[in-house]
Amino acid sequence: MSDSKANGSAPPHLYGKRRDGARVQMLEREIAFLDEELKSLESIPPASRSCEEVAEFVIGNVDPLIPTIKKPRKSWRFWKWFCGACCFDFLWICCCSMPRCCDCTTCNSCGNPCRSCEIPACRCFPCIISKCFKKWKCSLNCCCRCLPKRSCCPTCSCTRCTCYPKCPNLKNMCSCCNKSCCFPCFFYCM
Amino acid sequence: MSVAELKERHLAAAETVNSLKDRLKQKRLLLLDTDVAGYARSQGQTRVSFGPTDLVCCRTLQGHTGKVLFESQVYSLDWTPERNRIVSASQDGRLIVWNALTSQKTHAIKLPCAWVMTCAFSPSGQSVACGGLDSMCSIFNLNSQTDKDGNLPVSRMLSGHKGYVSSCQYVPDEDTHLITASGDQTCVLWDITTGLRTVSINGSNSRMFISGSCDSTVRLWDTRVASRASRTFHGHEGDVNSVKFFPDGYRFGTGSDDGTCRLFDIRTGHQLQEYNQQHVDNEAPHVTSIAFSTSGRLLFAGYTNGDCYVWDTLLAEKIRYAAQFQPVCPVNRLYWTWENFKILTVVGSAVWDCLLMVVPYVQEVGTQTSRSGLLEGIEESTEVGDRFLWKMSVVISPSKFLDFVCPSYGL
Repeated sequence: MSDSKANGSAPPHLYGKRRDGARVQMLEREIAFLDEELKSLESIPPASRSCEEVAEFVIGNVDPLIPTIKKPRKSWRFWKWFCGACCFDFLWICCCSMPRCCDCTTCNSCGNPCRSCEIPACRCFPCIISKCFKKWKCSLNCCCRCLPKRSCCPTCSCTRCTCYPKCPNLKNMCSCCNKSCCFPCFFYCM
Repeated sequence: MSVAELKERHLAAAETVNSLKDRLKQKRLLLLDTDVAGYARSQGQTRVSFGPTDLVCCRTLQGHTGKVLFESQVYSLDWTPERNRIVSASQDGRLIVWNALTSQKTHAIKLPCAWVMTCAFSPSGQSVACGGLDSMCSIFNLNSQTDKDGNLPVSRMLSGHKGYVSSCQYVPDEDTHLITASGDQTCVLWDITTGLRTVSINGSNSRMFISGSCDSTVRLWDTRVASRASRTFHGHEGDVNSVKFFPDGYRFGTGSDDGTCRLFDIRTGHQLQEYNQQHVDNEAPHVTSIAFSTSGRLLFAGYTNGDCYVWDTLLAEKIRYAAQFQPVCPVNRLYWTWENFKILTVVGSAVWDCLLMVVPYVQEVGTQTSRSGLLEGIEESTEVGDRFLWKMSVVISPSKFLDFVCPSYGL
């Protein structure tokens, strides 16, 4: 206030000054924290000590998921034979490592990934106009998943937008709509 | 101080911050004399091995209808402390509470806002909380009476966040306190009974919690000190999507968009181990969520391509491919039949049951239909054999569509 009276400068300068002042304060605070942390590093032990603690803890505790008894050879052979013989009908004991079980999508309880299968290449979501490219990468007319964290197709445009109550203000949200508030652009930024 | 001087000070301070950060990084590197895998190998540890019938899927809980365009339809889930019930949230706009032992659904809660991102079970198991794009955290008491439409009413709404609520969790053993994390870059500790945000708790026990952020850092917080994080952990090169305490309480694991999981030590701040898949084409799938087994020996990690791996935390090796979730493959046409209040959908060549629904998506505007009018957006419906083909001109929520075509739709 006193500054503006003294040199007659307009309020906008003052607002900017307050903001800059606050920024400097924040930075100086951060400097203090970083100094503190640097000092604390003088007295902390190296990582090996923590690694030792982790290993001791893990080994000292029983884990219900980890088998302790070695399975007898016989039953392993049985499973091997059984799985090889009829994989498709018995989803719950499907062994994907067997060459026959190539349809990885039906093997939902497989121990090992289907080695002889090729996981199908990225199948595209049906964009209005064109297909998606590999690996979900956004490009023109491709479908990008405009969920809060994901970045959007920079060149996409919403052809059909309707306003859903209101568009929330999300970081990294799909903001490529032509219209001001586009519900479909949440999910189908095309 | 003049504006110019302030700007100079700002510049100088920013430079100091950067150089301090560099020095910190260098000093930390010097202290990283080994990682967990290096130590474990030097002690002669051998990896865990599983037989083909170990670690098999025992139950699949199906019930969420979801948008077919996303491979992960269920957004979030949480267990009760007794591990007998689960609450799951999906963007079909419903929270479902499951009996984990019998696979039965005990509650199906229709949410006021369908875009839910997180859910949590209260320590007593009496309530569930959820949050999402509506920037609010809604609490439902599972024992309250349903309204005339059969919906469970919201018992409390916690409002105050200025951005989406991405995560919520109850404070252990406290049904009345909840922590939320939001896209407004804040975490809030709530007192549910008053609906007010509180940043200090009574008592001498310091409660720590950790938060992972889109700025690639993880921060450790003391709930008594709101003004700054107790410690900031650097290392990840992408959004941190998941954080979980290690069973001993002195370390925690993280999963990130950079495709790696990491183990950090709380007291020293060291990164103890990195769990990296080493992808051939440099397009490593992002880690969406992680969990530790009770001993900490196993680290389960879910990835955006639908894979779920089990890592040996001590040796930093992938032991096992735990599951693969079928990426959903939409095609150009979505069919529905309506028979006996069940809807069968045909997606490509697979036939899905009623409860695994797909949502109509945007298509070119078609011709008027006799069945349209009640629901905005239906452009055309034609009978194809014993099925109806629906063409929509706008995207609508699945529950809205289902309410229209299948009035008795329920679980």
